[in-house]
Parts: sequence; structure tokens; C-alpha cells
Amino acid sequence: MLESPVLNAFEAVGLKKDFDDGAVQALRSLDLQIPEGEFIAITGPSGCGKTTLLQLLGALDRPTAGTLVFRGVSIPDLPDPSAYRSREIGFVFQSFHLLPTFTALENVQIPMLETRMPSAKRRDQARELLKSVGLERRLNHFPSKLSGGERQRVAIARSLANSPSVLLADEPTGNLDSDNAAMILDLLVKIQQEKRMTLVLVTHDDRVAHRATRIIHMIDGHAVSDRQTGNGVYQ
Amino acid sequence: MSFVTVVIRGLIRRRTRTTLTLLGISIGIAAVVALVGLSRGLNKSWAAGMKARGTDVVVSNMTSSLVPKPFNATVRDRIAHLPHIAGTCTLLVDLMSVENTEMIMVSGREWGGFAWGNLKLMSGRMPNAAQEKAVVLGRTAADVLKKKVGDPIQIETAELKVVGIVDGNAWVENGSVILSMPLLQEITGDQDRINVIDVRLTPGTSRADVQSLCEQIDQLVPEARAIVASENLNQSEISRIVGAMSWSTSLLAVLVGVLGVMNTMLMNVFERTPEICVLLALGWKRRRIVELVLWESAILGLLGGIIGVFIGVVGVRLLAATPSIRGLLEPDIGIRLLAVSVAIAILVGVVSGLYPAWRSSRVTPSQALHG
Repeated sequence: MLESPVLNAFEAVGLKKDFDDGAVQALRSLDLQIPEGEFIAITGPSGCGKTTLLQLLGALDRPTAGTLVFRGVSIPDLPDPSAYRSREIGFVFQSFHLLPTFTALENVQIPMLETRMPSAKRRDQARELLKSVGLERRLNHFPSKLSGGERQRVAIARSLANSPSVLLADEPTGNLDSDNAAMILDLLVKIQQEKRMTLVLVTHDDRVAHRATRIIHMIDGHAVSDRQTGNGVYQ
Repeated sequence: MSFVTVVIRGLIRRRTRTTLTLLGISIGIAAVVALVGLSRGLNKSWAAGMKARGTDVVVSNMTSSLVPKPFNATVRDRIAHLPHIAGTCTLLVDLMSVENTEMIMVSGREWGGFAWGNLKLMSGRMPNAAQEKAVVLGRTAADVLKKKVGDPIQIETAELKVVGIVDGNAWVENGSVILSMPLLQEITGDQDRINVIDVRLTPGTSRADVQSLCEQIDQLVPEARAIVASENLNQSEISRIVGAMSWSTSLLAVLVGVLGVMNTMLMNVFERTPEICVLLALGWKRRRIVELVLWESAILGLLGGIIGVFIGVVGVRLLAATPSIRGLLEPDIGIRLLAVSVAIAILVGVVSGLYPAWRSSRVTPSQALHG
């Protein structure tokens, strides 16, 4: 029996990103392929270009040179990057970035406001997502009343609001203690596997990185190593 | 939860700042309501006074003062015979300081003239003779002067007596001290001088005939102008000056409101830049962020407008009750003025939000991943 070929979610060729008119070269001719459904950890020291890569993948910024495509479509040439982020990308941030004046249930609904989903359905879906991350008892709590781990779980639920195909996580465990970090990582891996999502996770932490199927190590804007961890790719 | 929820939460997250901004807009709008209402009230009060006296055409010289310039009493003889004129009544009116009151309307009326006819006695009696040292007070004037029938009253150096309290069926009439014209001429030293001729027309006089009559009077009386009663004060320079001043002062107050809202919204945008970046990263369109800022500022304007209208209405009522204004004019605050004021407030909100909204649209979403 023939296996179906693995499609690439992202492909980058000669990807460059400069800041300050070239004074800072965050990415220097990066070539990269990220297959659909893969969990990739991007590691490397501060300033190596990890977060810049995440920004380019999420169409939050434009590359200086090179090509970057998502399922064959050039990301810098997207006519509506916000629609791409809304439909395809879920972001998880190190500092959670929950809106302080909204409850957990409302925070999860924020990305859905850009869709035409009826409000009752939005609320039900947000409730389900919070239940799936174990926060069914914290629906109406404001972020200030939640622990760090709970806030990150709300943020993960929010990132899944519009059923994206890709999760981009920037140091998602960076502001958490080890127990909460392990729990959040388990949750991300579980979601990635259950939903067959592509997960690109930026981290400093080798223990976190080793949960991925593949680790790309970056230094000074280059990918200096790209190796499988043996965890296997979910297909 | 809806987009409106996000707008409202944006406003209430900084309650003190929002309240102070609302106060700023409210004061601007209250100024619009009060000043414009008072200036319009000036016109309305005069028109109502003339209507109450049964005047169809007024012959006077309203230049740049609040009361008309005096002219010779013989002017009446030049016009009394003209067609369509059923009757005339001469008056000498002035704004004077009477006893402790800073300014009150003193209305000297031709003895036996029709301008006495609208006055309904509430207490006391009317003066018995042209030279009797007596006045009647409009009911508001009696309140302001704290006088009752039988009390003495001093006008300039003359000692007179209040013989009656009357209802003149108009704000300006009720706020007046009314006496016979010869007596007032004697007191003020303006013998043979008058400043108003009230003209009554024969019933059924057409608008064209009225217009023609006014033109004839203007030719015969170069020192004054004949104007249809309802248009009298609108034609005066002082009315235009008062109107222009009230609008310009109001616009200044509104400008302060604009700057207040703009400052608040700019601070909001600066303070919420990380949040805006996150919203963009979560898939919100820039247009939606601009809408968010504009809706917030428009709602600030709307609420400020409603509160301002309330403050303005209450304020102008209090102002109209103060001794220096009471009885002189009735504020004219119609629904239209209130609606225009609220509309101005919303416009203030939207205009003030334009620059902050533009700034918000320039935010780079990649900042969401920093910190």
C-alpha cells in the first residue's frame, strides 16, 4: 500500500529579514520545509531569529528577501494577511496576552468576532474549548483571577477559536513554573496530535524542544542543525 | 459578547479618565445649549411680547443696542394715515437699573394706547391718569423687585407707587415695569421722544400689502425701520452679534471637547498598543481596529452630548432664574436645538477619534510577539 505524500505547510527558500536598514540581520538566507501536521521546535540563543521566523510564518511581518509559502501560496503576497491569521493560524504567546477586562469565556471569543458566527454559537464553542483545556469551572473568571498556567490554557483555547491548521507558539512555557510548563506542553502535544495540527514552537528549553518531532537549532539567523527527535510524525 | 461589548469595555477600563472626558464634552455641549438657547430666547421673548400686545408691524431703530434708539414722537403722525393701518401705539422702552435690580425692562406706553390692552390685572389696579406717579409690574418683575401693590418704587430720581401687578401673557411683558409714557418721558428727560411705534393692521391685510406698507413707512420715516413684528429682533444688529457670539463661544467650548476626546483616545491607543497588536495577531483586520477606536470616541461623544444637554437645560433654567436675567428673556430650548447639540457631540467624538484611529491602524502586529 502506497503512503500518501506528506504535504508541506510552509516552505522557505533564501528567507532573509533585516531590521534598521540592514544593520540587524535577523534571518540570513534560511531554507526550511515544515510538513503538515509536524511538531517542530525552533531553538537557539536570544537574537538568533527564532521569533522573527515565527512572525514571518504568521504574516505579522514581511521578509526582506526570499520566498515563504503556505500550502503553495506566497505569504508576503497574501491579499488579506488578517484573514490568513484568522483562519489558518493560532498564536500562543509567552506572556499570554489575554485582554484584562474580558473573562476567560470572552477572551476565547475575541478571534471569533472576525467571523460571521452567531453569538450563541461563539459562546458555545468558546465554552467547549475551555472545557477541553480543563477550565470549565473558570469560564467567568477574569485573567487577574487566574494562575499563570490557567491563563496560558485560556490563551491556548483562544488560539484554537477559529479551528486553525497551524499553531505558532512563542516560548509558551517561558513564564510558567515547571509543573505548569509540563502541563501546558502536554496539552499542546495532545491538541497537535488530536487535531493533526502543524505546531511550530519557539523555545530556549531543551526539555521542551525534545517533545517535538523535529528540532531546528538556529544561530545568527541561520539554521545550524535540523534533526528528527525520534518522537515520530503524526500523519 | 459582541463587538459592542469590546467597545464598551474599552471605555470603562479607565473609568476616571472616561468620566473626566465625558465631563469635558458635556461642558462644551452644555455651553452650546445654554448660550444658543439664551440668544434664541432673546428673539423669541421680544416676538412674544409684541404678539401679546397685538402688534403686527413695529417701527423702531434696532441698531447695535438691546433697546431701540429714540426718535421724535411726531413720526407717528407721518404714518398713522397710511392704508391698512388700524391703529398705532407709541412706546418708550428702556433697560434700566431699578433699585437693587441691575437691569429690568421699563416700558412707557402711550396713555390709552392699545398696548395696555393685553395686561390682565392680578391684583391692585391700573394707573388712573397719565401723570399719576404710578406703575404696574409684570408678575415676574414684581418677584424680582420684591414689590407688592402699595409699595413705593424708585425709578432714577422719581418716587412712584406700585398700584397693580399684571399678567402680560409673555415673558418680556411679565418682566417689565409698566407705566404711562409721558411719565417715563418726564423721568428720563426724553420729552417728545419715543423709540417704538406698535402698528396694528386692518384684518385681512395680505402679506404683499404688509410688505408694501413697510416700504412706505421706511420712505416716510428714514430715522426708523418698519418690520413685521415676528421678524423684528432677527433683523437687528445686536441680535446677530449675540447669535454670533453665542455660537462662537459654543464652538470654542466644543473645540476644547474635541481636544479632550482626542487626548483620551490617543492615550487609549498608546496604552493599548500591545493589545491592538494581539488583536491583529489573532486575525482582526486593521479596519476593525479603526472602527473600534472610532466607535469608542463616538460613544464618548454621544454620552457627553446627552449629559451636556441635561446640564445645559438645567443650567439655563437656573441662569434664567437669576435676578439679573429673570424676566428679561425666556430661554428657547427646543427639541431641535437639543438634537443638534447631541449630533454635534457625536461629530466631536468621531472627529476627535480620527487621528487616534489612524495611529491605531499604523501599529505593527509583530510587536505582539515582543514581551
